[in-house]
Amino acid sequence: MRRIQLGLLFSRSGSYRLISEACRLGALRGIEEVNADPAFGLSLVPVERDPGGEVDAYPPLCAEILAAGAQHVVGCVTSWSRKEIIPTLERMGGILWYPCPYEGFEASSQVVYTHACPNQHLVPLLRWAFPRFGRRGFLTGSNYIWGWEMNRVARDIIGEADGDVLAERYLAMGDTDVSRMVAEIRTTRPDFVLNNLIGASSYAFLDAMARENLRVPILSCNLTECELPALGEAAEDLISAGPYFRDGEGPGSSFEAAAHAAVWFLARRLACDPEAPLDRLLSLPGDDLAIDPTTHHATLPVVIAQVEGEAFRVRERWDAVPPDPYLARRDRFMRPRPQLAVVAP
Amino acid sequence: MRRLRVPDLGGAQATILHRPHATVQALVRQLSAIGLRAEAHWPDLPASALGADFVFFDMDMGHDEQFPWKPGQAPMPMIALIGSEAPGRVEWALGMGADAQLLKPVGDSGVYSALLIARTGFETRRALAAEIDGLRSRLSERQTVIRAVTILSAGQDDEAAYAELRRLAMSWRVTIEEAAARVVARGEGLNVRRRPS
Repeated sequence: MRRIQLGLLFSRSGSYRLISEACRLGALRGIEEVNADPAFGLSLVPVERDPGGEVDAYPPLCAEILAAGAQHVVGCVTSWSRKEIIPTLERMGGILWYPCPYEGFEASSQVVYTHACPNQHLVPLLRWAFPRFGRRGFLTGSNYIWGWEMNRVARDIIGEADGDVLAERYLAMGDTDVSRMVAEIRTTRPDFVLNNLIGASSYAFLDAMARENLRVPILSCNLTECELPALGEAAEDLISAGPYFRDGEGPGSSFEAAAHAAVWFLARRLACDPEAPLDRLLSLPGDDLAIDPTTHHATLPVVIAQVEGEAFRVRERWDAVPPDPYLARRDRFMRPRPQLAVVAP
Repeated sequence: MRRLRVPDLGGAQATILHRPHATVQALVRQLSAIGLRAEAHWPDLPASALGADFVFFDMDMGHDEQFPWKPGQAPMPMIALIGSEAPGRVEWALGMGADAQLLKPVGDSGVYSALLIARTGFETRRALAAEIDGLRSRLSERQTVIRAVTILSAGQDDEAAYAELRRLAMSWRVTIEEAAARVVARGEGLNVRRRPS
Protein backbone atom coordinates (compact mmCIF):
# COMPACT_ATOMS: atom_id res chain seq x y z
CA MET A 1 0.00 0.00 0.00
CA ARG A 2 1.51 3.27 -1.11
CA ARG A 3 1.32 6.09 1.44
CA ILE A 4 0.86 9.55 0.04
CA GLN A 5 0.84 12.60 2.27
CA LEU A 6 -1.88 15.14 1.56
CA GLY A 7 -1.78 18.62 3.09
CA LEU A 8 -4.83 20.25 4.67
CA LEU A 9 -4.61 24.00 5.30
CA PHE A 10 -7.88 25.24 6.74
CA SER A 11 -8.58 27.72 9.54
CA ARG A 12 -10.56 26.11 12.33
CA SER A 13 -11.24 29.42 14.03
CA GLY A 14 -11.78 32.98 12.85
CA SER A 15 -14.42 34.85 10.89
CA TYR A 16 -14.94 32.37 8.04
CA ARG A 17 -14.62 29.23 10.20
CA LEU A 18 -17.91 27.66 9.04
CA ILE A 19 -16.75 27.60 5.42
CA SER A 20 -13.32 26.26 6.39
CA GLU A 21 -14.88 23.50 8.44
CA ALA A 22 -17.14 22.52 5.54
CA CYS A 23 -14.15 22.30 3.18
CA ARG A 24 -12.12 20.37 5.75
CA LEU A 25 -14.98 17.95 6.33
CA GLY A 26 -15.26 17.27 2.58
CA ALA A 27 -11.52 16.65 2.27
CA LEU A 28 -11.37 14.37 5.33
CA ARG A 29 -14.38 12.39 4.11
CA GLY A 30 -12.69 12.00 0.73
CA ILE A 31 -9.50 10.78 2.39
CA GLU A 32 -11.46 8.31 4.52
CA GLU A 33 -13.30 6.91 1.48
CA VAL A 34 -10.13 6.58 -0.58
CA ASN A 35 -8.33 4.84 2.27
CA ALA A 36 -11.25 2.44 2.77
CA ASP A 37 -11.35 1.49 -0.91
CA PRO A 38 -8.73 -1.14 -1.81
CA ALA A 39 -9.19 -0.37 -5.50
CA PHE A 40 -7.08 2.78 -5.07
CA GLY A 41 -4.14 0.84 -3.69
CA LEU A 42 -3.00 3.90 -1.78
CA SER A 43 -3.31 5.41 1.62
CA LEU A 44 -3.70 9.17 1.97
CA VAL A 45 -2.10 10.55 5.11
CA PRO A 46 -3.37 14.00 6.10
CA VAL A 47 -0.75 16.57 7.10
CA GLU A 48 -2.81 19.25 8.74
CA ARG A 49 -2.07 22.83 9.82
CA ASP A 50 -4.50 25.42 11.21
CA PRO A 51 -3.73 29.08 10.42
CA GLY A 52 -6.57 30.17 12.73
CA GLY A 53 -7.86 32.75 10.26
CA GLU A 54 -4.58 34.74 10.38
CA VAL A 55 -3.50 35.49 6.83
CA ASP A 56 0.20 35.80 7.74
CA ALA A 57 0.18 32.30 9.22
CA TYR A 58 -0.66 30.68 5.88
CA PRO A 59 2.71 30.86 4.04
CA PRO A 60 4.86 29.39 6.85
CA LEU A 61 2.31 26.66 7.62
CA CYS A 62 2.04 25.84 3.91
CA ALA A 63 5.84 25.57 3.83
CA GLU A 64 5.71 23.23 6.85
CA ILE A 65 3.24 20.94 5.08
CA LEU A 66 5.38 20.82 1.93
CA ALA A 67 8.56 20.29 3.95
CA ALA A 68 6.87 17.35 5.70
CA GLY A 69 6.68 15.60 2.34
CA ALA A 70 3.27 16.46 0.96
CA GLN A 71 3.19 17.82 -2.59
CA HIS A 72 -0.55 18.44 -2.79
CA VAL A 73 -2.45 20.65 -0.37
CA VAL A 74 -6.21 21.09 -0.13
CA GLY A 75 -6.80 24.42 1.50
CA CYS A 76 -7.54 28.12 1.81
CA VAL A 77 -10.90 29.86 1.88
CA THR A 78 -10.14 33.52 1.20
CA SER A 79 -8.42 34.72 -1.96
CA TRP A 80 -6.12 36.74 0.24
CA SER A 81 -4.74 33.59 1.88
CA ARG A 82 -4.53 31.79 -1.47
CA LYS A 83 -2.54 34.61 -3.05
CA GLU A 84 -0.29 34.71 0.01
CA ILE A 85 0.79 31.09 -0.36
CA ILE A 86 1.30 30.99 -4.14
CA PRO A 87 4.96 32.16 -3.87
CA THR A 88 5.59 29.36 -1.33
CA LEU A 89 3.98 26.82 -3.67
CA GLU A 90 6.11 28.07 -6.58
CA ARG A 91 9.31 27.96 -4.57
CA MET A 92 8.72 24.49 -3.13
CA GLY A 93 6.88 22.90 -6.05
CA GLY A 94 3.61 22.44 -4.16
CA ILE A 95 0.11 22.29 -5.64
CA LEU A 96 -2.93 23.86 -3.97
CA TRP A 97 -6.38 22.37 -4.53
CA TYR A 98 -8.64 25.33 -3.83
CA PRO A 99 -12.26 24.38 -3.06
CA CYS A 100 -13.99 27.80 -2.81
CA PRO A 101 -15.67 30.18 -5.22
CA TYR A 102 -13.48 33.18 -5.98
CA GLU A 103 -13.42 36.37 -8.02
CA GLY A 104 -11.44 35.06 -11.02
CA PHE A 105 -8.56 36.73 -12.89
CA GLU A 106 -6.02 34.15 -11.84
CA ALA A 107 -4.69 30.95 -13.39
CA SER A 108 -1.68 29.89 -11.37
CA SER A 109 0.19 26.84 -12.60
CA GLN A 110 0.45 25.81 -8.91
CA VAL A 111 -3.28 25.94 -8.16
CA VAL A 112 -6.26 23.80 -9.20
CA TYR A 113 -9.57 25.61 -8.75
CA THR A 114 -12.37 23.11 -8.03
CA HIS A 115 -15.15 25.59 -7.17
CA ALA A 116 -16.70 28.29 -9.33
CA CYS A 117 -15.28 31.46 -10.92
CA PRO A 118 -17.41 34.51 -11.91
CA ASN A 119 -18.79 33.18 -15.19
CA GLN A 120 -20.08 30.28 -13.08
CA HIS A 121 -21.61 32.35 -10.28
CA LEU A 122 -21.82 36.14 -10.55
CA VAL A 123 -22.47 36.56 -14.26
CA PRO A 124 -25.35 34.04 -14.48
CA LEU A 125 -26.76 35.22 -11.15
CA LEU A 126 -27.03 38.85 -12.26
CA ARG A 127 -28.37 37.96 -15.68
CA TRP A 128 -30.97 35.80 -14.00
CA ALA A 129 -31.84 38.57 -11.53
CA PHE A 130 -32.20 41.52 -13.95
CA PRO A 131 -35.46 40.49 -15.64
CA ARG A 132 -36.94 39.37 -12.32
CA PHE A 133 -36.02 42.19 -9.94
CA GLY A 134 -34.62 45.03 -12.02
CA ARG A 135 -31.20 46.54 -12.68
CA ARG A 136 -30.71 48.97 -9.83
CA GLY A 137 -28.19 47.25 -7.59
CA PHE A 138 -26.67 48.05 -4.19
CA LEU A 139 -23.25 46.41 -3.86
CA THR A 140 -21.73 45.36 -0.55
CA GLY A 141 -18.53 43.54 0.26
CA SER A 142 -15.82 42.71 2.74
CA ASN A 143 -12.84 44.97 2.33
CA TYR A 144 -10.46 42.69 0.45
CA ILE A 145 -10.03 41.32 -3.03
CA TRP A 146 -13.17 39.13 -3.11
CA GLY A 147 -15.46 42.08 -2.36
CA TRP A 148 -13.57 44.54 -4.55
CA GLU A 149 -13.30 42.41 -7.66
CA MET A 150 -16.78 40.87 -7.40
CA ASN A 151 -18.31 44.32 -7.16
CA ARG A 152 -16.13 45.55 -9.98
CA VAL A 153 -17.35 42.78 -12.28
CA ALA A 154 -20.91 43.42 -11.06
CA ARG A 155 -20.51 47.10 -11.98
CA ASP A 156 -19.41 46.13 -15.48
CA ILE A 157 -22.33 43.73 -15.96
CA ILE A 158 -24.88 46.17 -14.53
CA GLY A 159 -23.41 48.92 -16.73
CA GLU A 160 -23.58 46.76 -19.84
CA ALA A 161 -27.24 46.10 -19.07
CA ASP A 162 -27.92 49.87 -18.69
CA GLY A 163 -28.63 49.42 -15.00
CA ASP A 164 -27.54 51.56 -12.06
CA VAL A 165 -25.19 50.94 -9.18
CA LEU A 166 -26.79 52.88 -6.33
CA ALA A 167 -23.83 52.43 -3.99
CA GLU A 168 -20.82 50.25 -3.28
CA ARG A 169 -20.11 49.81 0.44
CA TYR A 170 -17.44 47.85 2.30
CA LEU A 171 -16.82 46.58 5.81
CA ALA A 172 -13.51 45.37 7.21
CA MET A 173 -13.38 41.59 7.63
CA GLY A 174 -15.08 40.76 10.94
CA ASP A 175 -16.71 44.22 11.29
CA THR A 176 -20.37 43.87 12.27
CA ASP A 177 -21.43 47.53 12.32
CA VAL A 178 -23.89 47.30 9.44
CA SER A 179 -26.33 50.04 10.50
CA ARG A 180 -25.16 52.61 7.97
CA MET A 181 -25.30 50.14 5.09
CA VAL A 182 -28.82 49.08 6.03
CA ALA A 183 -29.93 52.71 6.42
CA GLU A 184 -28.64 53.48 2.93
CA ILE A 185 -30.52 50.53 1.50
CA ARG A 186 -33.67 51.68 3.29
CA THR A 187 -33.24 55.10 1.68
CA THR A 188 -32.19 54.10 -1.83
CA ARG A 189 -34.60 51.16 -2.25
CA PRO A 190 -32.53 49.16 -4.74
CA ASP A 191 -34.01 46.41 -6.91
CA PHE A 192 -31.50 44.01 -5.37
CA VAL A 193 -28.53 43.87 -3.01
CA LEU A 194 -25.38 41.97 -3.96
CA ASN A 195 -23.87 40.62 -0.76
CA ASN A 196 -20.13 40.03 -1.01
CA LEU A 197 -19.60 40.31 2.73
CA ILE A 198 -18.11 37.26 4.36
CA GLY A 199 -18.38 35.59 7.76
CA ALA A 200 -19.49 37.63 10.77
CA SER A 201 -20.08 40.81 8.70
CA SER A 202 -22.38 38.92 6.39
CA TYR A 203 -24.33 37.34 9.26
CA ALA A 204 -24.80 40.72 10.96
CA PHE A 205 -25.88 42.33 7.69
CA LEU A 206 -28.37 39.63 6.76
CA ASP A 207 -29.79 39.62 10.26
CA ALA A 208 -30.26 43.40 10.20
CA MET A 209 -31.83 43.24 6.74
CA ALA A 210 -34.26 40.55 7.87
CA ARG A 211 -35.29 42.68 10.86
CA GLU A 212 -35.80 45.72 8.60
CA ASN A 213 -38.12 43.61 6.44
CA LEU A 214 -37.41 45.72 3.34
CA ARG A 215 -38.28 42.93 0.92
CA VAL A 216 -35.23 43.65 -1.22
CA PRO A 217 -33.82 40.48 -2.85
CA ILE A 218 -30.31 39.71 -1.56
CA LEU A 219 -27.96 37.84 -3.87
CA SER A 220 -24.76 36.01 -2.91
CA CYS A 221 -22.19 33.90 -4.70
CA ASN A 222 -20.80 32.14 -1.65
CA LEU A 223 -23.79 31.46 0.59
CA THR A 224 -24.34 27.73 1.12
CA GLU A 225 -25.94 25.34 3.57
CA CYS A 226 -22.85 25.46 5.78
CA GLU A 227 -23.67 29.00 6.94
CA LEU A 228 -27.43 28.59 7.34
CA PRO A 229 -27.12 27.65 11.04
CA ALA A 230 -25.41 31.00 11.71
CA LEU A 231 -28.25 32.86 10.02
CA GLY A 232 -31.36 31.15 11.36
CA GLU A 233 -34.54 32.77 10.12
CA ALA A 234 -32.59 35.64 8.55
CA ALA A 235 -31.64 33.23 5.76
CA GLU A 236 -35.18 32.97 4.46
CA ASP A 237 -35.56 34.15 0.82
CA LEU A 238 -31.81 34.68 0.26
CA ILE A 239 -30.67 33.84 -3.25
CA SER A 240 -27.36 32.21 -4.02
CA ALA A 241 -25.48 30.88 -7.04
CA GLY A 242 -23.20 27.86 -6.85
CA PRO A 243 -22.37 24.57 -8.53
CA TYR A 244 -24.39 22.48 -6.10
CA PHE A 245 -27.08 22.78 -3.47
CA ARG A 246 -28.05 19.95 -1.20
CA ASP A 247 -31.02 17.88 -2.20
CA GLY A 248 -31.54 15.16 0.40
CA GLU A 249 -28.47 12.94 0.14
CA GLY A 250 -24.95 13.99 -0.73
CA PRO A 251 -22.44 16.51 0.61
CA GLY A 252 -23.72 19.17 3.02
CA SER A 253 -22.68 22.11 0.85
CA SER A 254 -20.81 22.99 -2.34
CA PHE A 255 -17.69 23.78 -0.24
CA GLU A 256 -17.72 20.27 1.15
CA ALA A 257 -18.46 18.86 -2.31
CA ALA A 258 -15.61 20.81 -3.98
CA ALA A 259 -13.02 19.69 -1.41
CA HIS A 260 -14.31 16.13 -1.57
CA ALA A 261 -14.18 16.13 -5.38
CA ALA A 262 -10.62 17.47 -5.27
CA VAL A 263 -9.44 14.58 -3.07
CA TRP A 264 -11.17 12.01 -5.26
CA PHE A 265 -9.88 13.53 -8.47
CA LEU A 266 -6.35 13.57 -7.10
CA ALA A 267 -6.51 10.06 -5.61
CA ARG A 268 -7.83 8.48 -8.79
CA ARG A 269 -4.99 9.91 -10.82
CA LEU A 270 -2.28 9.34 -8.22
CA ALA A 271 -3.42 5.72 -8.19
CA CYS A 272 -2.48 5.54 -11.90
CA ASP A 273 0.75 7.49 -11.62
CA PRO A 274 1.85 8.47 -8.08
CA GLU A 275 4.82 10.54 -9.27
CA ALA A 276 3.06 12.44 -12.04
CA PRO A 277 3.55 16.20 -12.23
CA LEU A 278 0.38 18.28 -12.30
CA ASP A 279 0.17 18.67 -16.10
CA ARG A 280 0.25 14.90 -16.47
CA LEU A 281 -2.25 14.38 -13.62
CA LEU A 282 -4.68 16.73 -15.29
CA SER A 283 -4.33 14.93 -18.61
CA LEU A 284 -5.15 11.51 -17.14
CA PRO A 285 -8.67 10.40 -18.07
CA GLY A 286 -11.52 10.17 -15.63
CA ASP A 287 -15.25 10.65 -15.64
CA ASP A 288 -15.34 12.80 -12.51
CA LEU A 289 -14.45 16.47 -12.39
CA ALA A 290 -13.48 18.08 -15.72
CA ILE A 291 -10.46 20.32 -15.08
CA ASP A 292 -9.38 22.53 -17.97
CA PRO A 293 -5.64 21.86 -18.42
CA THR A 294 -5.04 25.44 -19.62
CA THR A 295 -6.62 27.35 -16.73
CA HIS A 296 -6.77 24.59 -14.06
CA HIS A 297 -10.41 25.53 -13.44
CA ALA A 298 -13.33 23.08 -13.29
CA THR A 299 -16.29 22.81 -15.62
CA LEU A 300 -19.26 22.96 -13.27
CA PRO A 301 -23.02 23.17 -13.21
CA VAL A 302 -24.44 26.57 -12.37
CA VAL A 303 -27.37 26.48 -9.99
CA ILE A 304 -29.36 29.43 -8.70
CA ALA A 305 -31.23 28.61 -5.52
CA GLN A 306 -33.30 30.39 -2.89
CA VAL A 307 -33.71 29.61 0.78
CA GLU A 308 -37.23 28.49 1.53
CA GLY A 309 -38.14 26.72 4.75
CA GLU A 310 -34.47 26.50 5.88
CA ALA A 311 -33.28 24.75 2.73
CA PHE A 312 -32.20 25.86 -0.75
CA ARG A 313 -34.76 25.38 -3.52
CA VAL A 314 -33.40 25.33 -7.05
CA ARG A 315 -34.72 28.19 -9.20
CA GLU A 316 -32.56 27.71 -12.32
CA ARG A 317 -29.88 25.33 -13.46
CA TRP A 318 -27.37 25.11 -16.30
CA ASP A 319 -25.28 21.96 -16.73
CA ALA A 320 -21.56 21.85 -17.46
CA VAL A 321 -20.59 25.51 -17.79
CA PRO A 322 -16.92 25.72 -18.85
CA PRO A 323 -14.72 27.99 -16.71
CA ASP A 324 -13.71 31.42 -18.01
CA PRO A 325 -11.64 32.88 -15.17
CA TYR A 326 -10.70 36.05 -17.08
CA LEU A 327 -14.22 36.59 -18.43
CA ALA A 328 -12.61 36.59 -21.83
CA ARG A 329 -15.47 34.72 -23.46
CA ARG A 330 -18.26 36.16 -21.38
CA ASP A 331 -20.63 36.72 -24.27
CA ARG A 332 -20.24 33.28 -25.67
CA PHE A 333 -21.58 31.56 -22.58
CA MET A 334 -24.55 32.28 -20.42
CA ARG A 335 -26.25 34.64 -22.78
CA PRO A 336 -29.60 35.42 -21.22
CA ARG A 337 -31.93 32.90 -22.66
CA PRO A 338 -34.75 34.39 -24.68
CA GLN A 339 -37.75 34.89 -22.48
CA LEU A 340 -40.42 32.79 -24.12
CA ALA A 341 -43.89 33.94 -23.41
CA VAL A 342 -47.20 32.41 -24.27
CA VAL A 343 -49.04 35.06 -26.20
CA ALA A 344 -52.78 34.94 -25.92
CA PRO A 345 -54.55 35.54 -29.23
CA MET B 1 -10.04 58.31 -11.78
CA ARG B 2 -10.81 56.78 -15.13
CA ARG B 3 -12.51 53.40 -14.85
CA LEU B 4 -10.77 50.58 -16.62
CA ARG B 5 -13.30 48.52 -18.46
CA VAL B 6 -12.29 44.85 -18.49
CA PRO B 7 -11.67 44.22 -22.17
CA ASP B 8 -13.15 41.26 -23.94
CA LEU B 9 -9.89 39.45 -24.68
CA GLY B 10 -11.45 36.17 -25.77
CA GLY B 11 -10.15 35.16 -29.18
CA ALA B 12 -7.78 38.14 -29.42
CA GLN B 13 -4.54 37.39 -31.28
CA ALA B 14 -1.19 37.81 -29.56
CA THR B 15 1.98 37.59 -31.62
CA ILE B 16 5.28 36.94 -29.89
CA LEU B 17 8.63 37.91 -31.39
CA HIS B 18 11.15 35.85 -29.47
CA ARG B 19 13.48 32.97 -30.19
CA PRO B 20 12.19 29.54 -29.08
CA HIS B 21 12.63 29.61 -25.31
CA ALA B 22 10.95 28.70 -22.00
CA THR B 23 9.82 32.33 -21.80
CA VAL B 24 7.72 31.82 -24.92
CA GLN B 25 6.13 28.69 -23.43
CA ALA B 26 5.30 30.48 -20.18
CA LEU B 27 3.89 33.39 -22.13
CA VAL B 28 1.75 31.16 -24.36
CA ARG B 29 0.45 29.33 -21.29
CA GLN B 30 -0.66 32.55 -19.63
CA LEU B 31 -2.13 33.96 -22.84
CA SER B 32 -4.12 30.76 -23.49
CA ALA B 33 -5.40 30.72 -19.92
CA ILE B 34 -6.63 34.29 -20.35
CA GLY B 35 -8.34 33.29 -23.60
CA LEU B 36 -6.08 34.70 -26.34
CA ARG B 37 -4.67 32.90 -29.34
CA ALA B 38 -0.89 33.12 -29.38
CA GLU B 39 1.81 32.44 -31.96
CA ALA B 40 5.54 32.98 -31.84
CA HIS B 41 7.90 34.09 -34.61
CA TRP B 42 11.67 34.41 -34.93
CA PRO B 43 13.75 36.06 -36.29
CA ASP B 44 11.20 38.32 -38.05
CA LEU B 45 7.55 39.18 -37.76
CA PRO B 46 5.65 38.26 -40.93
CA ALA B 47 3.35 40.82 -42.54
CA SER B 48 0.44 38.89 -41.03
CA ALA B 49 1.53 40.26 -37.65
CA LEU B 50 -0.13 43.50 -38.75
CA GLY B 51 -3.43 41.82 -37.89
CA ALA B 52 -2.41 40.96 -34.32
CA ASP B 53 -4.19 42.59 -31.37
CA PHE B 54 -1.05 42.56 -29.21
CA VAL B 55 2.66 42.08 -29.94
CA PHE B 56 5.17 40.85 -27.36
CA PHE B 57 8.75 41.46 -28.50
CA ASP B 58 12.18 40.54 -27.24
CA MET B 59 14.04 43.60 -26.06
CA ASP B 60 17.39 41.83 -25.62
CA MET B 61 18.06 40.74 -29.19
CA GLY B 62 15.54 42.88 -31.05
CA HIS B 63 16.22 45.38 -33.83
CA ASP B 64 14.16 47.63 -36.11
CA GLU B 65 14.26 45.38 -39.18
CA GLN B 66 12.35 42.57 -37.46
CA PHE B 67 9.08 44.49 -37.67
CA PRO B 68 6.85 45.09 -40.70
CA TRP B 69 6.35 48.70 -39.55
CA LYS B 70 8.56 51.67 -38.72
CA PRO B 71 9.70 52.28 -35.12
CA GLY B 72 6.93 53.85 -33.10
CA GLN B 73 4.27 53.12 -35.70
CA ALA B 74 2.96 49.77 -34.53
CA PRO B 75 -0.77 49.59 -35.19
CA MET B 76 -1.38 47.65 -31.96
CA PRO B 77 -0.25 47.70 -28.30
CA MET B 78 3.29 46.36 -27.84
CA ILE B 79 4.80 44.73 -24.79
CA ALA B 80 8.57 44.51 -24.34
CA LEU B 81 10.09 41.30 -22.93
CA ILE B 82 13.02 42.48 -20.87
CA GLY B 83 16.00 40.34 -19.90
CA SER B 84 18.87 42.72 -19.26
CA GLU B 85 17.70 46.11 -18.08
CA ALA B 86 20.36 48.03 -20.00
CA PRO B 87 19.48 51.67 -20.71
CA GLY B 88 20.28 51.37 -24.43
CA ARG B 89 17.89 48.45 -24.77
CA VAL B 90 15.15 50.22 -22.81
CA GLU B 91 15.65 53.22 -25.08
CA TRP B 92 15.28 51.03 -28.16
CA ALA B 93 12.12 49.37 -26.78
CA LEU B 94 10.61 52.78 -26.04
CA GLY B 95 11.50 53.88 -29.56
CA MET B 96 9.68 50.84 -30.94
CA GLY B 97 6.64 51.98 -28.99
CA ALA B 98 6.49 49.63 -26.01
CA ASP B 99 3.30 50.33 -24.05
CA ALA B 100 4.12 47.90 -21.22
CA GLN B 101 6.83 45.48 -20.23
CA LEU B 102 7.35 42.03 -18.73
CA LEU B 103 10.56 40.97 -17.06
CA LYS B 104 12.15 37.70 -18.11
CA PRO B 105 12.07 34.96 -17.05
CA VAL B 106 8.32 35.09 -17.50
CA GLY B 107 6.73 32.95 -14.80
CA ASP B 108 3.20 32.40 -13.78
CA SER B 109 1.82 35.92 -13.72
CA GLY B 110 2.17 39.39 -15.12
CA VAL B 111 0.69 38.90 -18.57
CA TYR B 112 -2.86 39.97 -17.73
CA SER B 113 -1.85 43.29 -16.21
CA ALA B 114 0.63 43.89 -19.06
CA LEU B 115 -2.20 43.38 -21.58
CA LEU B 116 -4.47 45.83 -19.76
CA ILE B 117 -1.78 48.46 -19.26
CA ALA B 118 -0.52 48.16 -22.84
CA ARG B 119 -4.01 48.43 -24.30
CA THR B 120 -4.93 51.44 -22.18
CA GLY B 121 -1.60 53.16 -22.88
CA PHE B 122 -1.87 52.48 -26.61
CA GLU B 123 -5.42 53.80 -26.85
CA THR B 124 -4.56 56.90 -24.85
CA ARG B 125 -1.53 57.52 -27.04
CA ARG B 126 -3.54 57.07 -30.22
CA ALA B 127 -6.35 59.35 -29.04
CA LEU B 128 -3.85 62.04 -28.05
CA ALA B 129 -2.04 61.74 -31.38
CA ALA B 130 -5.32 62.20 -33.26
CA GLU B 131 -6.19 65.21 -31.12
CA ILE B 132 -2.74 66.73 -31.66
CA ASP B 133 -3.03 66.19 -35.43
CA GLY B 134 -6.34 68.02 -35.39
CA LEU B 135 -4.96 70.90 -33.35
CA ARG B 136 -1.87 71.16 -35.56
CA SER B 137 -3.88 71.35 -38.73
CA ARG B 138 -6.13 73.99 -37.17
CA LEU B 139 -3.05 75.89 -36.10
CA SER B 140 -1.58 75.80 -39.58
CA GLU B 141 -4.83 77.20 -40.98
CA ARG B 142 -4.69 80.33 -38.81
CA GLN B 143 -3.38 82.37 -41.73
CA THR B 144 -6.29 81.21 -43.92
CA VAL B 145 -8.82 82.15 -41.22
CA ILE B 146 -7.33 85.64 -40.94
CA ARG B 147 -7.49 86.08 -44.70
CA ALA B 148 -11.10 84.87 -44.81
CA VAL B 149 -12.13 87.27 -42.03
CA THR B 150 -10.38 90.06 -43.90
CA ILE B 151 -12.30 89.23 -47.07
CA LEU B 152 -15.62 89.01 -45.23
CA SER B 153 -15.05 92.20 -43.26
CA ALA B 154 -15.60 94.34 -46.32
CA GLY B 155 -18.23 96.78 -45.10
CA GLN B 156 -18.44 95.38 -41.54
CA ASP B 157 -16.23 95.01 -38.47
CA ASP B 158 -14.00 92.01 -37.74
CA GLU B 159 -16.33 90.50 -35.16
CA ALA B 160 -19.25 90.52 -37.54
CA ALA B 161 -16.98 89.07 -40.22
CA TYR B 162 -15.91 86.23 -37.92
CA ALA B 163 -19.55 85.58 -37.00
CA GLU B 164 -20.32 85.43 -40.72
CA LEU B 165 -17.51 82.87 -41.20
CA ARG B 166 -18.92 80.74 -38.36
CA ARG B 167 -22.37 80.92 -39.88
CA LEU B 168 -20.99 79.77 -43.25
CA ALA B 169 -19.08 76.91 -41.60
CA MET B 170 -22.25 75.78 -39.84
CA SER B 171 -24.41 75.97 -42.92
CA TRP B 172 -21.78 74.09 -44.96
CA ARG B 173 -21.26 71.66 -42.07
CA VAL B 174 -17.49 72.03 -42.16
CA THR B 175 -14.87 73.32 -39.73
CA ILE B 176 -14.09 77.03 -39.46
CA GLU B 177 -10.75 76.34 -41.14
CA GLU B 178 -12.37 74.53 -44.05
CA ALA B 179 -14.94 77.30 -44.47
CA ALA B 180 -12.15 79.86 -44.37
CA ALA B 181 -10.32 78.01 -47.14
CA ARG B 182 -13.48 78.12 -49.30
CA VAL B 183 -14.04 81.81 -48.61
CA VAL B 184 -10.46 82.57 -49.51
CA ALA B 185 -10.64 80.52 -52.72
CA ARG B 186 -13.92 82.18 -53.71
CA GLY B 187 -12.91 85.64 -52.56
CA GLU B 188 -9.65 85.70 -54.41
CA GLY B 189 -11.32 84.27 -57.50
CA LEU B 190 -13.85 87.12 -57.46
CA ASN B 191 -11.15 89.60 -56.60
CA VAL B 192 -13.31 91.30 -53.99
CA ARG B 193 -12.39 94.69 -52.75
CA ARG B 194 -9.80 94.62 -50.00
CA ARG B 195 -9.41 97.18 -47.31
CA PRO B 196 -6.17 99.11 -47.63
CA SER B 197 -3.55 97.52 -45.45
